[in-house]
Amino acid sequence: MKQQVAMGRSPVVKIGRKPGRWKKHLWGYLFLVPAAVIFVLFLWVPISKGFFYSFYHIDFVKGNDFVGFDNYKTVFKDADVWIAIKNSLYYMFLGLVMGFWVPILFAIIISEMRRFQGFVRIAAYLPNVLPAVVLYGLWRWFYDPVGPINGALTGLGTSQIAFLSDKSWSMISIVFMESWQQFGSAMLIYLAAMLSIPKDWYEAAEIDGAGIFRRIWHITLPSIRGLLMLLLVMQLISTSQGFQSQLALLDGGPNKATLTYALLIIKYATTRLDYGVASALGVLMFLVLGGLALLQFRLNNKGGN
Amino acid sequence: MKAKSFERGILSNYDYKKSTNKVGLAFVIVVILIMVGSMVYPILSTLFNGLKANTEVNSFPPRFLPSEWHFDNYDTGWNYIDLTQFLGNTLAIFLGNMIVTVVVLGLAAFSLSKLNVPFRKGIYFFFMITLFIPPSTYIIPNFLNLRDLGLLNSYWAFWLPAGASAFFLLLLKNFFDDIHHEMFEAARIDGASEWGSFIRIALPLSIPIFSTLAIFVFSSAWNEWFWPSLVMQSDDTYPLATAIYKYVIQARRLDLNIRFAILTMVMLPPIVVFLLFQKYIMRGLQLGGVKG
Repeated sequence: MKQQVAMGRSPVVKIGRKPGRWKKHLWGYLFLVPAAVIFVLFLWVPISKGFFYSFYHIDFVKGNDFVGFDNYKTVFKDADVWIAIKNSLYYMFLGLVMGFWVPILFAIIISEMRRFQGFVRIAAYLPNVLPAVVLYGLWRWFYDPVGPINGALTGLGTSQIAFLSDKSWSMISIVFMESWQQFGSAMLIYLAAMLSIPKDWYEAAEIDGAGIFRRIWHITLPSIRGLLMLLLVMQLISTSQGFQSQLALLDGGPNKATLTYALLIIKYATTRLDYGVASALGVLMFLVLGGLALLQFRLNNKGGN
Repeated sequence: MKAKSFERGILSNYDYKKSTNKVGLAFVIVVILIMVGSMVYPILSTLFNGLKANTEVNSFPPRFLPSEWHFDNYDTGWNYIDLTQFLGNTLAIFLGNMIVTVVVLGLAAFSLSKLNVPFRKGIYFFFMITLFIPPSTYIIPNFLNLRDLGLLNSYWAFWLPAGASAFFLLLLKNFFDDIHHEMFEAARIDGASEWGSFIRIALPLSIPIFSTLAIFVFSSAWNEWFWPSLVMQSDDTYPLATAIYKYVIQARRLDLNIRFAILTMVMLPPIVVFLLFQKYIMRGLQLGGVKG
C-alpha cells in the first residue's frame, strides 16, 4: 500500500527536474495537491495502518506492543468468527433471494405504464430518503408482537411471529426491512436502462411472433445484462460489509443470530477494546473482498463508465 | 414522460386490446397498487402514530388513523432532547463537507480534466483505486488514524475526509469532461489564469453537478449515525442521527407516540427536499447508478 502512495506522487518529483514543463503545469499540480494530501491522509494511511496494527496490541495508555501473529491466532481460535462468517454469508444469500430480483420485475412492469408512471416512481423511491434511524424506529414497531404485521396475522387467524426475537426470523426480518428501503433506487436504475432499449426491437420481435414473455426474455433482459451483473456484484460487496441494521435493531442477537462479520469487527473494537484483533479481522476481510472488488472494477470498465 | 415515448414498449397497442391479456393487465395493476401501498403505508403510519395518544399507539390491533389528533406530541418531542442543538451540528457538518468537496475535489477534477498535466492517467488511477477498497475493512484503523491525528470529537474529523471521495471526484471529472475545451482556451488567450478560469468559468458552469452532490452530501450528513457515534463523544458535537439513535431509538422509557413524533420530525426534511428537488435526485441516481 505504501508503494502505491509513492507511485502516485513520483510524477511531481520527476517534473521538478525540467523547469519549463514544471512551470507550465505548476497550477495543474497545485490544484491536485489538496486532494492528494487528503486521499493519502484519510484513505491510504488508514488502509496501510490496518495492516500495521494487525500485528500490534493497541493500548491507548501504555502504548502499542508488537505481538507478531498473535492477533491472527486469536481470530482463528475464536468460535464467534466462524459464526459471524456463516451469518454474513446467510445475510448475503437472503439479500439476493429476497431483494435482488424484485426491482428488476417492477422495472419491467413500470416501464410499461402509460399513466401515473411518475407518481409510482416517486412512491417507490420514497423509502430511500428515510433516514436509517427512522427506519429502525419504524420497523421495530412493525415487527413488534403487538405491531401491525402481527395484528394482521391475528386478524387472518394465524399464529403470531416473533420477527425479531425468534432466531430463525431475525435475519430475515432485517433483510426484508432493508430490501423495502433499497428497492426503489435499484428499480430506477434498471428502469432508465430499460427505457433506452430501442422500441423497434420489440416491434420486430412482435412481427416475428414473439409473445410478451419471450420479448422480455430475449430482448429486455439481455439488454440490461451488464448492469445486472454490476448491481449483483455491488450488492454482494455491500451486504458482505453489512452491520448497521443488525447492530441497531438487535445488537447481533438473539443468541448471535445476526452477528455478521463486520459487526464482529465493530464489537472487537467497541466492547472488547481490542483494536489489534479488529484490524486483523479487517485485513482478512480485505483479502477476501479484494477478489470481488477486482470483478467490480472489470465490470465497471466494461459497462463503459 | 412525454406521451410520444409510449407509442409502444414491450407491449404494443395490439397487446393492450387483446382480451386474453386483460386479466394479466388487471393483475399487474393490483401488484403495482400493493407495491405503492406497502411503500407509503409505513411512512404514513409513522406520521399518524406521532399524532395519536400513547394508549392508542399501544392498542392491539393497531389502527391506522388517530381517533383524536394530538399535535401537542410535537411540542413534547421537540423538548425531549435538544433537537435544535443536534440539528445545528448536522448542518455544520453538511456545510463544511460541502465546502471541502467543492474546493478540494472541484480543483482536482478541473485539473485532471482540463489542464493536461503529464501523468494524469496515473494520478487519476491513484484516486480511483480507492473506490474498490471496501470501507468496513479499514473502519477501525480509520478511527485510530483520526485519533492519532487528534481529530476525534471535532468537526474536522468529518470535514477533511469529505474531500477523500473518489466517487464524487469521478462525477465531477465526468462533468468537466463534457465542457468544451474552447471555452477555457478563449479565457487563456484573454489572459485568464488557471485559477481565474476555475473560479469564473468552471465553477459557475458546474452548478448542476454541485446541486446533485449537495443532495448526496446532505443525505449522508443527515443519515450517518454509526460513524459519528464512534468519532464524536459528546452531546455538543453529535449530529442529529446519532442523537436520535442514542436517545430515541435506544431509549427504554420513552412513550411510543412521542417517539414517533420525533421520528416524523427527522423524516420530514429529507422527504421535503426529495419532493422539491426530485429532478436533480433522479439525475444523480442515473449519474451515480454505479455507486458502491
